[in-house]
Amino acid sequence: MIGFILKRLLVALPTLLAVLTIVFLFVRVAPGDPALVILGDSATQEALEALREQLGLNKPLLAQYLDFMGMVLSGHLGISMLSGRPILDEVWEVLPYTVELTVASLTIGVVVGVPLGIVSARRRNGWADYVARVISLVGLSFPAFVSAVLLLLVFAIQLRWFPVISSASLEDPAERLRSLALPAFNLGLIMLAYITRVTRSSMLGVLSEDYIRTARAKGVPGRMVVWRHALRNALIPVVTVVGLYLGVLIGNSVLTEIVFNRPGLGKLIVGALNQRDYTMLQGLMVIYAFIIVLCNLLTDMTYGLIDPRVKRQ
Amino acid sequence: MTHIGSAARAAVLGIVLAAGVTAPAASEMVLNAAMGAADLGSLDPHRTASTQDKAIIGWMFNGLVRFKPGSLNPADIEPDIAERWESSPDKKTWKFFLRKGVMFHGGYGELTAEDVVFSIERAANPKTSAFSSDFRAIESITAIDPYTVEVKFKNNVPSPLGIFTNFQGGNIVSKKAVEKLGDEFRSKAVGTGPFAYSEYQRNQAVTLVGHKEYFRGKPKLDKVVYRYIPSDASRDLAYQNGEVDLIYGRADQRWVERMKSQPKTVLQIFGPGELGHLHLNMTKKPLDDLRVRQAIAHAVDRGQLVKFRGASVFRPAVSIVPEGYLGTDENAPLLQHDLAKAKALLAEAGHKDGVTIKAIQTSQPSMLTLMEVVQAQLKRAGINLQFEVVDHPTFHAQIRKDLSDLVYYSSARFPIADMHLTQYFHSRSIVGTPTGVTNFSHCNVADAEIDAARVETDPAKQLELWKVAQRKVIEAVCGVPLVANTQVWAHRANFDLGYELKGSLSLGPMLTENSTFK
Repeated sequence: MIGFILKRLLVALPTLLAVLTIVFLFVRVAPGDPALVILGDSATQEALEALREQLGLNKPLLAQYLDFMGMVLSGHLGISMLSGRPILDEVWEVLPYTVELTVASLTIGVVVGVPLGIVSARRRNGWADYVARVISLVGLSFPAFVSAVLLLLVFAIQLRWFPVISSASLEDPAERLRSLALPAFNLGLIMLAYITRVTRSSMLGVLSEDYIRTARAKGVPGRMVVWRHALRNALIPVVTVVGLYLGVLIGNSVLTEIVFNRPGLGKLIVGALNQRDYTMLQGLMVIYAFIIVLCNLLTDMTYGLIDPRVKRQ
Repeated sequence: MTHIGSAARAAVLGIVLAAGVTAPAASEMVLNAAMGAADLGSLDPHRTASTQDKAIIGWMFNGLVRFKPGSLNPADIEPDIAERWESSPDKKTWKFFLRKGVMFHGGYGELTAEDVVFSIERAANPKTSAFSSDFRAIESITAIDPYTVEVKFKNNVPSPLGIFTNFQGGNIVSKKAVEKLGDEFRSKAVGTGPFAYSEYQRNQAVTLVGHKEYFRGKPKLDKVVYRYIPSDASRDLAYQNGEVDLIYGRADQRWVERMKSQPKTVLQIFGPGELGHLHLNMTKKPLDDLRVRQAIAHAVDRGQLVKFRGASVFRPAVSIVPEGYLGTDENAPLLQHDLAKAKALLAEAGHKDGVTIKAIQTSQPSMLTLMEVVQAQLKRAGINLQFEVVDHPTFHAQIRKDLSDLVYYSSARFPIADMHLTQYFHSRSIVGTPTGVTNFSHCNVADAEIDAARVETDPAKQLELWKVAQRKVIEAVCGVPLVANTQVWAHRANFDLGYELKGSLSLGPMLTENSTFK
């Protein structure tokens, strides 16, 4: 197993390197000037020039690139041009929020989505199927920022169950759960929609297989057929989707973070982009690329757990 | 049974309470403020000119002198850290006598003349300050004794008090703190104002606490939480839900009307005015032709723009300097809307079939929508305005490289005519040059008057020079002023700022030691 993980990480190295180089270049090709963001719009060219010098933006591109790569290799991702604080510190500060939101919404998605998909497949074209399909269609077609505002209107303003500003401190667990509920539900709805759809279609495929018919013919109870025989085989595409969206969720929850006023990685990335905080953006891309690689690795390992044939290969 | 029932009820109530209590201990008076931005830029007053940082910096720092809270009138400048001042007969040497017992936040001790000298020198240094050009006239600044500072100017300065107010480079920082904190000063700044830095949570909030040793007395508010809530909808909902007491508003008619309908809410509409201009690049064809520029000025309909944006917060421009600033020519001869004249001027310039002008335009919604209306107005006169829409940081970088024929730019500045005149219409500020700031039109027709007004000690003559400068720039149509908006905030009716708010240089309400909940 450890050999497998190491091999996968080694294979990921060239990908990471390519990502870093592309990010480094793209960030600098985009017009915009961090010095201007820092000093404001009435700063003179002189002052801007002085700050660029200080930030090392006047160095030749190759020198900047080597500096950057050196920092990545040393595991120290550098210092944010805007806040002056180490990038890793900034990331560690928001990472718990991102992780808890991702895990919570993923849990909602899997716990509700898989059973919903199964029911939908078993009662194909029945009313339960229609309900499930409508739910997943709603989840897919509602932009995250619209559903977020609707949730706030209903649950925070009308019912007053949850706060609008969900950025409670990390210490108080009850308050924290209360803060997490609406954003997790908002993202969970999207996850749920995908998972329901994939589970349904994959389940439909499996249920029409010969071995299912054989099992049924042998007199295996329907429940057993579905949960033991069919589900395990239907889960592979579901795991693929979950793995894919795990990565997407981590960086892509920015709209949810903004509307619910939560800190998070997504907000950090967008902020760095808007302010042209080159070092921050680079550092975040390194971390993000690493997370994606990790997610893929986890997905592959899960395949092995579900389907022993994958492990043998 | 009843016992179990009530115990269960109590337990449920306990959970509900634990989950529901957001208010702090009753003894603490906390103001929750919400700003429309994603995050803090910087708390270093010499380093940031971002709108989201101005208000909070205003709560943390003092200048040698200050604008009376709520006022923008230079005649209302009053003692702050300096309790009095005197000047030599030639007005070139000024002495400031500092108050005793002015304490810095966080145990950084008493403020002395040394801090003032350090602070002003820091603000005058382009390596450490964004506002160095404001201090160009200073020859030397020295501490005569711990409570006296002497400033020598290179030339006559009519009123040097402006640069020493509690604004931008005039804010006094602690020498010890700057040296000790280094880069961290940006997020943990130390001043002498009524509120002191306490905590910063990335993308969330800066928390300030009342500065118990504040020289005007202990602030009535114990704590101020300055939250960053970039989504307009969420910010409004947080206010509606009672989670926020003081809220930044967009200059938008619908927002103003919605807030007016909120119960127990006070709407604050105040200066300074933020004036939007079309800057016409006079070095590019066809804008090098005065008649084409005049045609653009005649094609623009300010009345319609005000109608589009809402009359509660928008007013038509009166000059190329915002209304109400010291030196604004309130009756400036701006070219008025006249389509026939615009068309005739274009034809006379040899563009019977119309002209095409290219403009780099930001994708920021409030700026883009206004420009789309302007685009439609110009179209009616046969002027085809083509946009290259880019994101906001790109816009800022490209217009400073002199890449756009026409630039739409809106700003509020220190409320004297000199600021807009110098930054937008003096040749020293032409973009792309070392001393460049925001002169996008390459205007240079009023350099002599702008410079003369800077050193004129007779206030009447100074006003006259500014008036002539405005007329010359308007005559040359370096730019077309459009509409000006005021600042808008709202707060709970039971919150009392402690003064009447008519204007605030920090673009947000100043919090003083007297600000409190009634």
